[in-house]
Amino acid sequence: MSGLTKARRRGGGAGWLAAAPLLLVTLIAFGVPVVVLVFGAFSVKGGGLGFDNLSATMKQPYIGALWSSLKLSAVVALGGTVLGAFLAQAVLTSRSGLLREAVLTASGVLANFGGVPLAFIWIATLGNSGVVTAALGLGSGALYNFWGLALVYMYFSVPLMVLVIAPALDGLKPQWREAAQNNGASTWQFWRMVGIPVLGPSLLGGAVLLFGGAFAAYATAAAMVGASVPLVTLQIADALTGNVLIGYENIALALSLDMIVVALLVMAVYLPMQKRSSRWLA
Amino acid sequence: MAGVTWRRVTLGVAGVYFLVPLAISVWFTVYNETQGFSLGAYGRIVSAPGFTESLVKSLLLGAAVIVLVLLLALPALLAVRLGAPGLRPVLETITTLPLIVPPITYVVGIANALRGGTDALAATPFWQTLISIQDENFPVVLVLAYVMLALPFAYRSLDTGLRAVDVRTLVEAARNLGASWPYVLFRVILPNLRSAVASASFLSLALVMGEYTIAALMGYRTFPVWIVTISGNDGQLSVALSVLSLGLIWLLLLTLSGAGRKSK
Amino acid sequence: MTVELRELRRSFGGTVALDGLSLTIEQGELIAFLGPSGCGKTTALRCVAGFERPDTGAVFIDGADVTRVPANRRDAGMVFQSYSLFPNLNVRDNVAFGLRVRRRPTDERHSRAAELLELVGLGGFGERYPHQLSGGQQQRVALARALALQPKVLLLDEPLSALDAKVRVNLREEIRRLQLELGITTIFVTHDQEEALSVADRVAVLKSGRLEQVAPPAEVYDRPATPFVAEFVGTMNHLPGRVSGETVEVFGQFLPLDGAAPGEEVDVLVRPEAVRVTPAGDGRAFILASSFRGSIARLRIQLDGGGEVLADVPGHEAVRLAPGLKVDVTLVERPVLTAPRTAVAAPVEPVA
Repeated sequence: MSGLTKARRRGGGAGWLAAAPLLLVTLIAFGVPVVVLVFGAFSVKGGGLGFDNLSATMKQPYIGALWSSLKLSAVVALGGTVLGAFLAQAVLTSRSGLLREAVLTASGVLANFGGVPLAFIWIATLGNSGVVTAALGLGSGALYNFWGLALVYMYFSVPLMVLVIAPALDGLKPQWREAAQNNGASTWQFWRMVGIPVLGPSLLGGAVLLFGGAFAAYATAAAMVGASVPLVTLQIADALTGNVLIGYENIALALSLDMIVVALLVMAVYLPMQKRSSRWLA
Repeated sequence: MAGVTWRRVTLGVAGVYFLVPLAISVWFTVYNETQGFSLGAYGRIVSAPGFTESLVKSLLLGAAVIVLVLLLALPALLAVRLGAPGLRPVLETITTLPLIVPPITYVVGIANALRGGTDALAATPFWQTLISIQDENFPVVLVLAYVMLALPFAYRSLDTGLRAVDVRTLVEAARNLGASWPYVLFRVILPNLRSAVASASFLSLALVMGEYTIAALMGYRTFPVWIVTISGNDGQLSVALSVLSLGLIWLLLLTLSGAGRKSK
Repeated sequence: MTVELRELRRSFGGTVALDGLSLTIEQGELIAFLGPSGCGKTTALRCVAGFERPDTGAVFIDGADVTRVPANRRDAGMVFQSYSLFPNLNVRDNVAFGLRVRRRPTDERHSRAAELLELVGLGGFGERYPHQLSGGQQQRVALARALALQPKVLLLDEPLSALDAKVRVNLREEIRRLQLELGITTIFVTHDQEEALSVADRVAVLKSGRLEQVAPPAEVYDRPATPFVAEFVGTMNHLPGRVSGETVEVFGQFLPLDGAAPGEEVDVLVRPEAVRVTPAGDGRAFILASSFRGSIARLRIQLDGGGEVLADVPGHEAVRLAPGLKVDVTLVERPVLTAPRTAVAAPVEPVA
């Protein structure tokens, strides 16, 4: 065996050694709980394995909650993607370095702002005794429904989209727009034939992140709507904390598995798209 | 021109949507009709029982998460670039998995694993370990969970940072000049990665300071959990706490991005 | 199809990019806009393409005032510096982009694209994507795309500056061949004087948004209109000289003046190839360094009185004229340009 191959072999071995702690911790801290979860989801009362729990989650009230979670996530993903992309483009083309810096920093903050504090801020604004509710004479319950929840979720989703899409928008070379113009294209034709296709993967990737964020969100919804908007995360928490009948823990596990399957499906779309985008904008 | 109009409308709508709730919240916390202006709500935060305790606990958790994330991710990322490219797909997959498992389902898995583990290992010395990692004052199990949640974001931010540095050449040059491996890592690589490390740290810390679901469902009183329990029916206090936690994230971002920029 | 620039002025904030530029480009001519960065050459080109609007002045294509015509309705094909191909479209669709915008049928688009790709030497590359091509191939595709709509004018904005030296030379010859074949009026912007001199019918040298000289390459090189042109195009020695009447004294030689001298104490501008070097034991200069370039060798010579001079000698003399050798330096007898006295005797290498 030549010295070079040997050296490469050794490098590979050392490489796996360097990654070993990460692999080990992931296996214990992530692998074990997930295996337990999947196993529990298939465990039926009285021992043995079966689909009892999973088929229970395909009935009311669980299927309704799952459906409503999917709808909410889709609305937030779509709205957040469109608004985030427009906002990012407006900021990046404004030629004001200060505005750009301010919006990107604020986006970094707001994209990480969620949970109960987010609910409180919106309750103060649009809740039943909120300032805007009173000023506009809106009735009670304006915030505590599906669309209210979507409005609040946008508060972290739009900034997240701005952060995701800004580098892609920066990667759109001015030459492309000029070359399109030079070939007789109007602004709209440029966006339709070049701009949006090039941004497509990034937009879709961002939309997937927004979808996942809204789908997984629990604390904000719990603090805001309680049980008035059925969501799968709320159902899981209820089953887990024994707010409902005891013995529903395996239902929580099965619902969790449902969520993971949805997320897996979404990821399966996202990852190949991500690859294509990085190749174009390199 | 049309271009100017749509930009103004977009910026205007976004400005109203993002700034009005903030302005109202700040106003709400410092003014009420009976007392007029008062910073009382913010005073009540500091004097509320458990404030320091939970804040310190969350900050400690955050520090532990940052250290652990960097210690786990950096060697693996460097290994990918220094001779084990086969690792890359493995790492990509590992760091994508936590995105697929929402926190609420993750905590369900953890709780069940812990319960099962405690039962199964009751007669062995491992039982003691399992109990100690669930210590209320410094729950190692929460650190591990947060490391998993932070990993996808931290990994990508570090990966982006490393892309801008020619690691192989740096390492080879340093080794050629007689530097030891620890020296290479801490004095050559890390200084060049300062801003990527800063942003990975920010993302990890912001996650720890905001995560409610896992901590609450496992019964740990971290800062975000404390916020909810202490708010109770005091509307002003709860909004003041929200403003405070937003301010905290902002402060973290400024501090860490400042730290990242200093080297340039 | 002629292009006329009339009194173009354009400033960006405080910087003046074009300061009253007037120039007419003749039918079928390839003109090179040459100058250092910031001289306004690209701005002038972008005014023709419609990406910039002059503050005052006008652009005429074929006698028609197009100053206010938007870029997507001008009849000018443009090749950009680099990376201008649409990354989401394959080569064929890139070339046929303009035809698609004009809603031509698919057959026509494909056959026209194939024809153009053949023309630029990339037949059979239609299905590839830009990221699968080399830099030189990408620029060929960009050229095909610019020609797809049979424009009246071809605009080239430093199309070769991002390429390797060898590819650069090949592609510029290719561009010239195509341009002659199609007889298309062409503006070629470059900061590389060698590139400009080798492909253009005429070279327009720009400085600070103004035209310094426009003339065929040989004339720009041999009879530069201004000291700036003399220095920017090729290499120039500055030698201290003293004017007396119609001649100037330099190195003890009296050479005829070309044009008026700016004073009595002047810099005499001399090309390295106009400097003769002969070995002499008691010479008043010696060779500092020699760089061999194949057909010639460029010598850097230290003068006794201080100062240096560059001289080009035939390549085969490089061995004889080695560094350290004492030599005599004389100048070829021909009219010389002069400039206000600046340096002692510092030769100016070209920028590019």
